[in-house]
Amino acid sequence: MISSLIFSAIAMGLLMAFTALEHNYAATSDFALNHADQMRISDYLALDLRRALSVQAARNDTSIYIPNYYDANGNPQTPVLDQNGGVYYGALGSSVKVHYYLSAGTIYRQKDSTTPTALATNVQDFIFDVTDAGKVVSTKITFNPTFRSSGVAAGDPSAATAFYNTTLLRNKRTDNQIGVY
Amino acid sequence: MRTRGSKAQGSVLLWTVVTIAILSLLGAEVLRLVSIKYEHAIQTATWQESLLAAESGIDLAIMELRKSLFPAPNHAWEGWNNIPGNGVTSYGLTTIPNAGLAGTPMTIEVSVDAPSSLIDNAGWQYYRIRTVGTMPILGSARAGQNRQDTRLRKLSLRWERFTNGVLTAHAISAPQVSRRTEAIVRPVSAFNQAIMSVKTLDLTNQNIVIDSYDSRDPFKSTNGLYDANKRQQNGDLATNGSLIEAGNAHIYGDVATNAGTVSGAANITGIERTDFYQEPIPVGAPSWPSINPTPYTVTGTVTLNAGAKEAAASRYQLAQISLSGNKTLTLAGNPDGSATYIEIHVTGNISVSGGSQIVVAPGVSATIYFDGNVDVTGNGIINSNNQPNDLHLYGVQPIDSSNRTVHLGGNGQITATVYAPNADVTVNGGGSSGHVFGSIVGKTVTMTGVTNLHYDEASGASGMINNYKIVSWFEDNRDSRDH
Repeated sequence: MISSLIFSAIAMGLLMAFTALEHNYAATSDFALNHADQMRISDYLALDLRRALSVQAARNDTSIYIPNYYDANGNPQTPVLDQNGGVYYGALGSSVKVHYYLSAGTIYRQKDSTTPTALATNVQDFIFDVTDAGKVVSTKITFNPTFRSSGVAAGDPSAATAFYNTTLLRNKRTDNQIGVY
Repeated sequence: MRTRGSKAQGSVLLWTVVTIAILSLLGAEVLRLVSIKYEHAIQTATWQESLLAAESGIDLAIMELRKSLFPAPNHAWEGWNNIPGNGVTSYGLTTIPNAGLAGTPMTIEVSVDAPSSLIDNAGWQYYRIRTVGTMPILGSARAGQNRQDTRLRKLSLRWERFTNGVLTAHAISAPQVSRRTEAIVRPVSAFNQAIMSVKTLDLTNQNIVIDSYDSRDPFKSTNGLYDANKRQQNGDLATNGSLIEAGNAHIYGDVATNAGTVSGAANITGIERTDFYQEPIPVGAPSWPSINPTPYTVTGTVTLNAGAKEAAASRYQLAQISLSGNKTLTLAGNPDGSATYIEIHVTGNISVSGGSQIVVAPGVSATIYFDGNVDVTGNGIINSNNQPNDLHLYGVQPIDSSNRTVHLGGNGQITATVYAPNADVTVNGGGSSGHVFGSIVGKTVTMTGVTNLHYDEASGASGMINNYKIVSWFEDNRDSRDH
């Protein structure tokens, strides 16, 4: 009788421990995947922001305009100067629109009118902050974490998942006219 | 008893094995997850670092372009391949077993060329810089869990997507990642600011006005001349030093120091920055294949005739220009005022005093190099064209690096650009109206009296090239699936 009770207690303890470990593992795995998603989104955004000609930033819906570098066959075009010494590719004034938007927790990236590509799921929010006269863009991306502590006072659990990135817009920091920079 | 004991021991053993097995499975799964995460982190970090390699290639190219601006021998492009083709200059560089992440080698490939489509209205050549930064990937050649990671980072795990710059894949023996950038750089004039000083810049009077106009633009000038009603706010001041004494002068433009301060900044319309540094390119003594044999020196009234072509300007080498009394040095052109060109190298001092003067006749574009000091008073230098870009004054770098002085004053209105980074430059007067039109670069620059400086923005597209700046940047991340 006593041994059965001891066995049951140990078995129960082991079961609870394994369950807790499994939950912990699932939450950790989920966090790792979401973090990888954040890095991917952030890197995609940084890639396009670095080469951006202009940015129309809005929360969860942002358009980035990049040079029309490729021709119809996907080959680089020869750069040309405009009357003011500005550089352009393709037709004067042309650019490629890269549209990022959040829809039902999924972030999409769409180049011009091509089919949107889903970059990541379970994204709660992405915020743009354009600073330094439009030459620097900071992004903040959050997701809904699976693992939440019940002992912490109520608040936004995604706040702790915020992933920040600051990108210098290479084409915006230049000055085609005059000035010290 | 032995049987019951054996059963109990067997039961314990079974539970132990089961527990260890479960823990082992859990541990193995955690190890797998950590391993994937680790590889992902390494691949991402390597991808980021390969961009640093590519952008370092741009820096390397700009450094060589800047070196090419220095007087010979400047050792520019040494160690680079030079493969001219189709009438353009092309330089290539493949380097560098460098210390990258965790001591891994970093390879940078750079090519620089000068497409004919990149020549601006002023005839200045822009350069195209293409770079490839490559880093080896540590660990296994295993792709990430999400295929969008692969689409983004385009890691070359078993295949490199480019072969000799062409989008044709070839097998590789070890995983790596390459990033490709293309930057266009433009030449920057030495006269890119209204005033630039290597050290202190001192405006001593609150009634001084510094602003800008653009002689090329009828909306920013009138008949190519300054018009206060069309004032622009690009009268920028900058110093490599730590101090601009603005003297509460009215500055319609930005001010910038090298981690310094601006005092008397009450009337500055633009922004103040503290991150400026522009190494002044020294001016070497001109080396001309031929010069006009006479005169050897100018001390009396003399006329020097300009030539008809810019590439074959009329050239003189003078020991000095020393004018006093009512003597006049005339730089004469065609009677009809059509464009002519003259270049003068004064190996000594330039002095204008009393009622004397230097006159740049209509249509003449003059460039004067001077080895010594400049002291202009009297009637001063009369630029008949009223265009600063038609009179450039360049201070040749002294061999002994000794200091020079440039004093510009006199009764006449000063219309010129001055580049003398080894000289203490003092500007005062500018005639009874107190106006100076142009741009000034000096070791120190001091403006005295009520002298107004109007910077012609067209000066930023003329004169000597002092630097190169990036005007376009693009990362080429295409692969065969993108199109």
